[in-house]
Amino acid sequence: MIKRMLLAVSLTGLLAAAAPPKQKAFPYTYDQHDLNNGLRLITVPTSFPNVVALYIVVQVGSRNEVEPGKTGFAHFFEHMMFRGTKAYPPEKFQDTLQQAGAANNAFTSDDLTAYHTTFSKQDLEVMLRMEADRFQNLEYALPAFQTEALAVLGEYNKNSAAPELRIDEVLAETAFKKHTYSHTTLGYLADIKDMPNQYAYSKEFFNRFYRPEYTTIVVVGDVQIEPVRTLVKKYWSGWKRGAYQSIIPVEPPQESPRAAHIEWPTPTLPYSVMAFRVPAYTDTEKDSAALDLIAALGFSRNSPLYKTLVLDKQQVDSLQASYSNHVDPYLFTIVSRVKKNEDLPAVEEAVLSTLANFKDSPVAAERLNRVRRNLRYTMARGLDNSEAIASTVAQAVALRRTPETLNRIAEMYESLTPQDLLEVARRYFMENNRTIVTLTGAPK
Amino acid sequence: MKRRLMLILIAAAALLQADPPTFVSLGGASPLVTLRLVVRTGSASDPKGKEGLAALTAAMLAQGGTRQLTYDQVVEALYPMAVQVGYQVDKEMTTFSADTHVDNLEAFYGIFKSMLLDPGWRENDLKRLKDQTINEIRVSLRANNDEELGKEVLYNLLYEAHPYGPLTLGSASTVGSIGLGDLRQFWRTNYTQGNITVGLAGAYPATFPARIRRDLAVLAPGKRATPVRPAPPALHGWNLHIVDKRTRSVAYSIGFPIEVKRGHADYLALLVAQSFLGPHRSSAGVLFQNLREKRGLNYGDYAYIEYFPHGMFQFEPDPNLARVQQIFQLWIRPVEVPTAHFALRLAFHELDRFIQNGLTPAQFEQTRNFVTKNVNLLTKTKRAELGYAIDSLFYGIPNYGRYVVDGLRKLTVDDVNRAIKKHLQMRNVQVVAISPNGEELKTKLLANEPSPMTYTAEKPKELLEEDKQVDSRKLPFKAEKTKLTPADRLFE
Repeated sequence: MIKRMLLAVSLTGLLAAAAPPKQKAFPYTYDQHDLNNGLRLITVPTSFPNVVALYIVVQVGSRNEVEPGKTGFAHFFEHMMFRGTKAYPPEKFQDTLQQAGAANNAFTSDDLTAYHTTFSKQDLEVMLRMEADRFQNLEYALPAFQTEALAVLGEYNKNSAAPELRIDEVLAETAFKKHTYSHTTLGYLADIKDMPNQYAYSKEFFNRFYRPEYTTIVVVGDVQIEPVRTLVKKYWSGWKRGAYQSIIPVEPPQESPRAAHIEWPTPTLPYSVMAFRVPAYTDTEKDSAALDLIAALGFSRNSPLYKTLVLDKQQVDSLQASYSNHVDPYLFTIVSRVKKNEDLPAVEEAVLSTLANFKDSPVAAERLNRVRRNLRYTMARGLDNSEAIASTVAQAVALRRTPETLNRIAEMYESLTPQDLLEVARRYFMENNRTIVTLTGAPK
Repeated sequence: MKRRLMLILIAAAALLQADPPTFVSLGGASPLVTLRLVVRTGSASDPKGKEGLAALTAAMLAQGGTRQLTYDQVVEALYPMAVQVGYQVDKEMTTFSADTHVDNLEAFYGIFKSMLLDPGWRENDLKRLKDQTINEIRVSLRANNDEELGKEVLYNLLYEAHPYGPLTLGSASTVGSIGLGDLRQFWRTNYTQGNITVGLAGAYPATFPARIRRDLAVLAPGKRATPVRPAPPALHGWNLHIVDKRTRSVAYSIGFPIEVKRGHADYLALLVAQSFLGPHRSSAGVLFQNLREKRGLNYGDYAYIEYFPHGMFQFEPDPNLARVQQIFQLWIRPVEVPTAHFALRLAFHELDRFIQNGLTPAQFEQTRNFVTKNVNLLTKTKRAELGYAIDSLFYGIPNYGRYVVDGLRKLTVDDVNRAIKKHLQMRNVQVVAISPNGEELKTKLLANEPSPMTYTAEKPKELLEEDKQVDSRKLPFKAEKTKLTPADRLFE
């Protein structure tokens, strides 16, 4: 009975897998248009009615925080962008959003800062006008600046109850010694506390990075291409280009394995985090795509390791691996939340052994196909509303300033062979390339 | 023979009283098919001493394998389709949800059906999921998330000895005591045909709903649950509960039960009131403006008239958390220890002023306009649209968007201000603080000494004047209504 059932399942699987992908990974027709000042506009009309999602992506993040004492500044500056202009003081900015019934927020990561608003289509012009104003004419006084720095401290405080923030901090500073990826986007607590004293620097920051050549506007939803172009030209073409180029220190090659341990002051489950230095995002070379596939093959919910550690031995309650797309070389990271401190060495051993397998023998083509299928459908499922589409495009924009990135990486997934994965694994999963961070909690 | 006849008669009588499953079908041309199956049962149906049973039952169905397939085989089968069956349990509802590309609907549905209707009930899965639940309680909630902890402790206190009181996940000891027999029994009794609502959206075949209906016939027949719950225990005066733990700052949750829920005559009036005071994660609310924007006390401050868990991770509420009773709640995100007393005073100062003054006609118009438009954003995905439609059936109201838009059109500023005065008050409140050095905070709050603010930033004169009123505001906590608990004793 069990056999027959399984056969039925796998046959259905094969039939569906045999169907060739009919369309591109990013299936929407889009318009990509550059203004003379270097601002890029990407418009994606969709069939989802009424709603428009507007993402404004600035290619600045904690990666650009090169000066000492300024960690967390890109994120802090994201907060300052809500502190108003002459034409739209904060109250009027809020009133306008209220009138539009809009959902509005922003986020910052290592490589980007994104401002996003979702609203009804009739409010598109109001939103583009108001956003154009704050990107060009932001103006805030010292008291507002100092007060906002405290809100950032509040953000640090609310995140600090969980050990993950501390793990991120320690992993970053252990794996990177020169490059700015050595600090988190939130920044060091000492720098956050010093933010109220950095008013003059904040003006310089705006002057450097909030420029059209760093910025891409993404408009997705119930819109047409031409009217969007006209509106963006009307409100954004007067924005002046800047001249600043970030010089980001290059991280020298790692020469020996690194490790760090965190004693967490309260009871919690132990963590084992293993990271390998890997190259920057690429969709012209095989590396990024291969590492994505290895993360899924080796550590996702259908991997043999997950079955062993989470389902059978039940030593681990959460297992995740990722190659995180970054502008500069970053990390391939495997995070295990372990149930007992004494199992940490065994879990570490099992993770290392999984990685060794990728270096020793090519993966089965059938398993590779299953992962490819998963990635195809994951992408399709993630594009189910205008806001989600805009958010996906925004991530691609941070890397290569075009949604085409999504198609290129998807095509790369399709082209890779088991031999490619073997070569990539051999290239990066070396002891000298590795950082291990462990965390254990206080005894109960 | 007689006995058999009797059994047939009993079965017929049961059938006469039974309800069929309910279907909410949105259809549509999208190749993504969304399936949402909601069972009208939840932790309010947990037997005493087995709190967490509803949640663990759902976990076992969604992550425990079927009789034919072990859980790893289920994962293996679903993996190439990139489908995961999500589940959510609350007091009155249990939800299973998945999206699948229509290419995979057939293969997916075959497995989904077995997960819910022919579960595996294996000891090894139960052991894993009990561990997972206990870790969620002890680690994810209690150790790592001060904000969510404050909210859950607030509900726990306001609903003491009430079916809504225990944590939906249960406590470490009750979860530990649950066995396979308990799960089977809960599933048989509560997963009845009448209790099921199936939501469908996307380009599924026309015959699909009928097929699901046929498959659901293996469940026991039953009447749809229409829960009646006892009134929450009366709240007297000012109650303070400090949870002491080693953490950087102080997180507050403040609230009291209200009689208003969706469908109540004052629901929309309170929805507008909530939105003016502090709509979730919006920077427009009065609380956010006065605590964060003007004074930099923390990261954000919001008001709620319905249960909204996981608010620190998301902007919109999840549907299918419908309850027959709700509370009014203020969420004050973590504040630094030196300003914790002032922040609490300011929160009550704002609430007091809000209750006294209500909204001006202009504020009312603006807020009503916001809510009228913003409601469309809540249902921007098919998942949410189905979820809201199923909640509307629960509350006996029309489509939520229509209900809000039509109702708001008729609403007046007087309706809102009257509803604020009727339902919001500061006589009987519960305050929960998650705090380091709890004893110190307790002493400070009970002593009621002034807590003057100092700012690095220059502040307008009016703000400093207002601070003087706030910093000596009496918060009438009393020692006999104040409790201090170490965090590690909670939900054990």
